[in-house]
Amino acid sequence: MLIPLSYNLRSLFVRKSATFLTVLGIGATVAIVSGVLALQQGFASMFTAGGREDVAIFLRPGANSEGDSQFSRDRGLKLIKSIPEIAVSEEAGPLASMEAYLAVLLPPARGGVTNVPLRGVQPVTFEIRKEELHIVAGRKFTPGNDELIIGSRLVDRIQNCRLDDVIQLNKTPFRVVGVFEHEGQFGGEIWGDLDRLLAAMGRYGPNRVIAQMRPGTELGSVDPLEVMFEDDPPEPAEGTLAARLLKDTEVPAKVYTEKQYLASQTVFLSGALYFLGGLLMVIMGTAAIFTATNTMLSALAARTHEVGILLALGYRPVPIFFSFLFEALVLGLLGGLAGCLLAQPFNGVKAGTMNMQTFTEMAFAFRVTPVVLGIAISFSLMLGLLGGAWPAWRAARLKPTVALRQG
Amino acid sequence: MISVKMVWRNLMRRPLRSVLTTLSITVAIGLICFLSTVITTLYSGIQNADNRRLAVMSAVGLFVELPIKYQAAIEKVPGVEMTTKFQWFGGYYRSQKNFFAQFAVDPATLFDMYPECRVPAEQREAFQRGRTSCLIGSALAKEFEWKVGDTIPIIGALNPHPDDRAWEFQVAGIYHSEVPNFDNRTMFFHWDYFEETLEAGGREPGVGVFSVRVAPGADVPRVIADVEQAFHDSEQRVDCQTEAEFQRQFVTMFGNLPLFVGWIGTGVLIAILMACINTMLMSLREQGAEIGILKALGFTDGATFGMLVVQSLVLCGLGGLIGIVLAWATQGAIGTALGTTFPGYTIQGVTYALAAAVTVGVGLVAGIVPAWRAANLRCVEALRETN
Amino acid sequence: MTQAMIQARKLTKRYKRGGETLVVLDGLDLEMSEGRFYALMGPSGSGKTTLLNLIGGLDQPDEGSLVVADEELAHLGGAELSRWRARNIGFVFQGFNLIPVLSALENVELPLKLTPLSRAERRKHAQFALELVGLADRMHHRPRQLSGGQEQRVAIARAVATDPRVILADEPTGDLDRKSADQVLELLGRLNREFKKTILMVTHDPHAAEHAQSIVHLDKGQLGRVEENAPRVPAGEAQRSVRT
Repeated sequence: MLIPLSYNLRSLFVRKSATFLTVLGIGATVAIVSGVLALQQGFASMFTAGGREDVAIFLRPGANSEGDSQFSRDRGLKLIKSIPEIAVSEEAGPLASMEAYLAVLLPPARGGVTNVPLRGVQPVTFEIRKEELHIVAGRKFTPGNDELIIGSRLVDRIQNCRLDDVIQLNKTPFRVVGVFEHEGQFGGEIWGDLDRLLAAMGRYGPNRVIAQMRPGTELGSVDPLEVMFEDDPPEPAEGTLAARLLKDTEVPAKVYTEKQYLASQTVFLSGALYFLGGLLMVIMGTAAIFTATNTMLSALAARTHEVGILLALGYRPVPIFFSFLFEALVLGLLGGLAGCLLAQPFNGVKAGTMNMQTFTEMAFAFRVTPVVLGIAISFSLMLGLLGGAWPAWRAARLKPTVALRQG
Repeated sequence: MISVKMVWRNLMRRPLRSVLTTLSITVAIGLICFLSTVITTLYSGIQNADNRRLAVMSAVGLFVELPIKYQAAIEKVPGVEMTTKFQWFGGYYRSQKNFFAQFAVDPATLFDMYPECRVPAEQREAFQRGRTSCLIGSALAKEFEWKVGDTIPIIGALNPHPDDRAWEFQVAGIYHSEVPNFDNRTMFFHWDYFEETLEAGGREPGVGVFSVRVAPGADVPRVIADVEQAFHDSEQRVDCQTEAEFQRQFVTMFGNLPLFVGWIGTGVLIAILMACINTMLMSLREQGAEIGILKALGFTDGATFGMLVVQSLVLCGLGGLIGIVLAWATQGAIGTALGTTFPGYTIQGVTYALAAAVTVGVGLVAGIVPAWRAANLRCVEALRETN
Repeated sequence: MTQAMIQARKLTKRYKRGGETLVVLDGLDLEMSEGRFYALMGPSGSGKTTLLNLIGGLDQPDEGSLVVADEELAHLGGAELSRWRARNIGFVFQGFNLIPVLSALENVELPLKLTPLSRAERRKHAQFALELVGLADRMHHRPRQLSGGQEQRVAIARAVATDPRVILADEPTGDLDRKSADQVLELLGRLNREFKKTILMVTHDPHAAEHAQSIVHLDKGQLGRVEENAPRVPAGEAQRSVRT
């Protein structure tokens, strides 16, 4: 027969200071871990949010990211012409565009300098992106003009990044004529006309080609995450578009879906954040477990006589074990809830860091997602479980005659 | 008045509790040392930078290359003693996870500009003679087990070889630097070989960074201004900074790391503070009667207050000490584990000071809370405290 | 002839303390009848509490046999012993009988939770037990809101709630003032007379022992003399028992 749960719940609130301190201690631990995970979630969701499976990214075969890749303008055009699988729209023609990926050193509001991503695009890019990208202030830049539009996430984070500001790119001043919103990575970029940007920065050609593919097109591309870490990476299967492009003699190219490409670009930072979160979980979790153990041992010491009464009445050791374990779990849960509450103010707070893979600034926000909350609560329950196991076992091992003697 | 024996006996009254609390503090202090060292390591490059060395790069950003002919123009600027160049190669060895820095450099001037880069004389000469040779850092040699004479294939991601194969370099020497801002995980090879190979494929490479040494006696800010002015009307403007500022630029790009780490540290601090106060209050609950007796015997309030604070300081101090020793003992292992992305991990004096301050601080606060309560208890109440 | 509720034969119990072995009960032979109120007296160290614990199944003898409520306790394993104890024994300790965070009613219900009774039935039994001890109006009070004597009476209510065959009381009036002690003792006497409960009460107070029908003396772990006693019956009660 089980010991009434009300016994444990009420006992927790008898020694208010001990319960409060333990809950706060666990809460601080959970809050920190949640914060780091929220950072990772904010970062990951920003990138995966934009990852479409129907958009293909074409790079030079040896390149690992668009920063490494380069085509000449002619070869870019030839590439586009050689791929019949590209979707064609009535108004805009083939939905393929060339893009340049550059960076410009700008001072962020926090001080110092940072490499802000700069993207030169053609008008077709807007056609491809029309569902995801919206102008929220001002207007699009006019092709052929020295004009820029700014991603909304940059507006307050970088100095002089507002409507009508002038940004100097090398020796050419460009005017900011609009602000746009994009949930994914573009929301943290500055966009301008491809040819004007190439000219200003002294580049001879775009970095990549993007295209919206016809529905049902199978690229056959190899997941870049598999390629990156292998000494002998696999090749795309024979007969696929990806294989054909790699072997092309005129304009060889490597192709990924946008989703695959974005995942590969963020894997190191994502991995680093997961690692940090895991490290904090283990280290701070250990200290939290010790705290919980101490609290429960102290509670047991004060209630040894009560355990004696229960045993004398006929309650068995196993229910007593679960009773104390339950109490520890509740402690953990309360700590977890406290931690989630403490982490909430971080939700939406803007953050930015440099992505080592692309060497450019990424602006994103903390996101306390259900995943974060789920991990936080599970973590806190685990803390309660591990912290309470030893005291619960001690409680179950008490002999009634010995326990009753303690006053 | 405060007996060491009494303090010790009180702590050993419940050995498991004391041990667990001490271990919590050990763990927390260890973590704080780690976090603090991450920050100090990142910024150490700035502190150790030679402030008579300047970095010249494109005003637009690091992605953009400067024309080679700029080097001659820079050398003409008054106050410039010598220059050398660096071009980021951006390749990898076999797979992308094997990431380390490679630079095309001027072997003739590299060592004069960077005396901290130490190489045995015959290896240096071999490197300067061999056009396709390379110089690797001691950490690289250790990680990949490369020796002098090995041929290393590097896949040029950013600069593909025009013959569509990997670039190959022969190891002529292995360098070692004791200075944190010149790390041991870099590979250097000949600029001329780099330029020739790329030109054969139809590309004209530029230079990412020119390194400049300011002549003794010249005014550094003046030289900086002159260098920037020299290219004000050229096709590419330049940005000139001291090496310290240049390094700081990299660090700030990571975002506000000190703030981020500070938040984590605060969380750790709160967690262990709660743990310690909890332990001390639990001890007080059990010691209550004893304190009543002590007061009845004539111990002053001040003495009992002091005893409780000392108790707390001993507990925390022990935990903190073990934590600091552990951090010191493991820094080598951690440094090796981080080695790839984070060279030069060494704990500095300021971190030890921080750890000690946190330990003492937590010990004091955790001791004062129950001590203050105990001091206000009168004899009779204290005796009743046990029940 | 009344059935023997408790039968001990050559009962022996030893304790190890600091390397030495103490013999607390030394080959004790004892018989106690059903429905009788016994007081167990003796100097400290004579083994009174140990004997009580053994009879209650809280501990096992080292040698000898002990049959309580028709069960040879030495033959019962851990779980069986617990079940037997829950069904047959009611305990009243000297102090700290009650769980502080539970109300009087919840405390009395605790042993009932080990029975197959439904929730409503448990509540009914617990309320009845509290009425019996005259504390029905305090059933929702926590122990700290009760006086020492009231706490003990709630403990008695808990002890009888499951209608056990034997009630074991260890110095039940030890911490109480004279008036409360008398209340508790009279209650025990009533339980014995009206409900025919077998009661074994350990005490060192001769005044408390006056309430019992037999006074058993223990000395150095062996049976001493046994006195028969005619306890006083409270005035009104004799009438009542005639009427029912």
